[in-house]
Amino acid sequence: MPEVRIIAKNFMDMVASMPAMKLDKLYENGFICEAILRSLLPLAKKYVIQMLHIDVSVAAKLLEEWVLPGGVSKHRVAIDRLVQLRVFLEAVDRKNEKTYKVNPTFQRSLQKLLVQGGTLPRESMPSNITVRLPTLENLEAYALEQWECFLLQLISPSQVEKPLNISSSLMKVFQRRILSYRDKEAPKLTESGFQFLLMDTNAQLWYIIREYISNSEDRGVDAADLISFMLELSFHDIGEAYSVDTLTSFQRTIINDLADLGLVKIQQGRKGSWFIPTKLATNLSMSLADSSSRKQGFVVVETNFRVYAYSTSKLHCEILRLFSRVEYQLPNLIVGAITKESLYSAFENGITAEQIITFLQQNAHPRVAERIPSVPENVTEQIRLWEADLNRVEMTDAYYYDEFPSRDVFEGACDCAREWNGLLWEDSKKMHMVVKTEVHQYVRDYLRRQK
Amino acid sequence: MVNATKGVFISCDIPMAQYIINMNASLPASDKFIIHILDNTHMFVQPHVEQMIRSRIAKFREDNTYVKPN
Repeated sequence: MPEVRIIAKNFMDMVASMPAMKLDKLYENGFICEAILRSLLPLAKKYVIQMLHIDVSVAAKLLEEWVLPGGVSKHRVAIDRLVQLRVFLEAVDRKNEKTYKVNPTFQRSLQKLLVQGGTLPRESMPSNITVRLPTLENLEAYALEQWECFLLQLISPSQVEKPLNISSSLMKVFQRRILSYRDKEAPKLTESGFQFLLMDTNAQLWYIIREYISNSEDRGVDAADLISFMLELSFHDIGEAYSVDTLTSFQRTIINDLADLGLVKIQQGRKGSWFIPTKLATNLSMSLADSSSRKQGFVVVETNFRVYAYSTSKLHCEILRLFSRVEYQLPNLIVGAITKESLYSAFENGITAEQIITFLQQNAHPRVAERIPSVPENVTEQIRLWEADLNRVEMTDAYYYDEFPSRDVFEGACDCAREWNGLLWEDSKKMHMVVKTEVHQYVRDYLRRQK
Repeated sequence: MVNATKGVFISCDIPMAQYIINMNASLPASDKFIIHILDNTHMFVQPHVEQMIRSRIAKFREDNTYVKPN
C-alpha cells in the first residue's frame, strides 16, 4: 500500500485509500473491476489489458521497455495508480529486482467479465408491468429538482416546503462543514459552505456521497459494501426500471437515501415498486475531470448595483440572499441589490469578496457573459473596498519590551525576534520593541542567556 | 532589568487610530486602555479590550448606515 494517505478527489481515490483486504473483497465483483478499468489513464488501461492473461510476475524493467523515453513520467504515474488501487501487486524477485503482478482476484473477475460477459444482479423489469415510465427529459428534470430540493434543505432548512426523508442526524453529517451553529441563532453558511455552492453539480454530488460513505461506519454499514453497491448502480441503464424486491434491506435503505438526492426515482405499482436510475447515478463512476459541463448562467449585475436573476429556483434566491438584498421574487425573476449592509452580513459569516465576485462572474447570464467584464468593474471594486473596510484595524496579541540595559542587548533581542518572524514594531532611539506573544518565550530565553 | 508588558498591538490607518485615541480619552481614568501610543498608526493596549474596541468600531459603522425597511 502507498505510504501517502490519499485525499479523495473522486470515487477511485476513495477506493484506493481502502485497506488491502477490503479491496480484494471489492474486486470479486466484475463490475467494480470494470469501473476501475474505466477510471484509469489510457496508459494504465493498456497495462491492465496487456497483463490481463499473464499469471506470473513481470519485471519492472521489462515494463519500462514498453515506453518511449519521453513517456517515463506518464509511465510512472500510471504504475503508481495501479499499485495504489492494488490492481498491480508490487514485489521483489530473487535477483532483488522489482516486479509487478496483476491482483489475482481482480484478474479473475475481469477475465470472466470480458470473456463470458456479465449480467447485472438485476435486470430491468418488463414494460407491461412498469407502465408510464418517465421520459429521459422528465427524469433529468426530476433528478435536478430533487437535488436542488436537497441543497435547499441543506443550507436553508426553514425554506423547504416538503422536507426530505433523510434522517436529521445524516443531514447534520452533510452540514457539519457547510453550516456553523451558534447558541440561540439560526445556522449560517460558512466560507466552506459558500464554496460548496459555487461547485458544479457533479462536484457537489461527490462531496455529499463522500460524506455519506465516510460516515457509513458510524451507522454500522461497511464502506466497502456501500461503494460496491453504488458503483454497481452506475452500471444500470438510465430510465430503466429495476425491481426493489431484488435488493437486500441494506440496499433498500441506500436506495431511499439516494432517491432523496435525486440519483434514483422510486415508483409504486400494483404488484410492487421499482427504482429508476437517473443521470446523476451514472455519474458516480466518472472522474470529476470528465464532467466539465457547466450550468447556464442566470445573473445580470448592473452598474447601479442592481441584480436581476432570471431563475425559477428558490435555491438561487437563497444564494443571492446571502450577499444581496432581495427585493422582489417573481415567478421567473429575482430582483435585488448589492448593498454595503448585505455584504457586511456575508462577510461576517466568513464569505469573502472574491467568492461573491466569482459567483457573479461564473453565473453571468448569456446576454452579459461575453461582455468584458461580465460584472461591472465599479461593482467588483466596491465589493472589495467594503471588505477592506472591515479589516481596517489589525490586532495582535503581543508583549511590549523596554528598559534595555544597553544597545547591544536591545539589538540582539530585536534580531532574535526577527529570526522568529515575531518583531512587530521597534523604536531604536528609545530602545523599545513589540513582539508577538508566540515569540515572547524565545526572546525571554535569549535575554536570560545575556546575564 | 528588561521590562515586558503583555497586551495587544494595534495596527491601523491614521483616521482609525485617532478614533481609538478619542475613544480612550472619553472613558473614565479607570477604564482607559491605551498603554503606549507608538506612532500615527500603531499603539499598544490592554490585553482584554480587543473585543470591546471591535464592537465599538462596528457600532460606529452601523450608526452611519441606513437599511431600507422591507
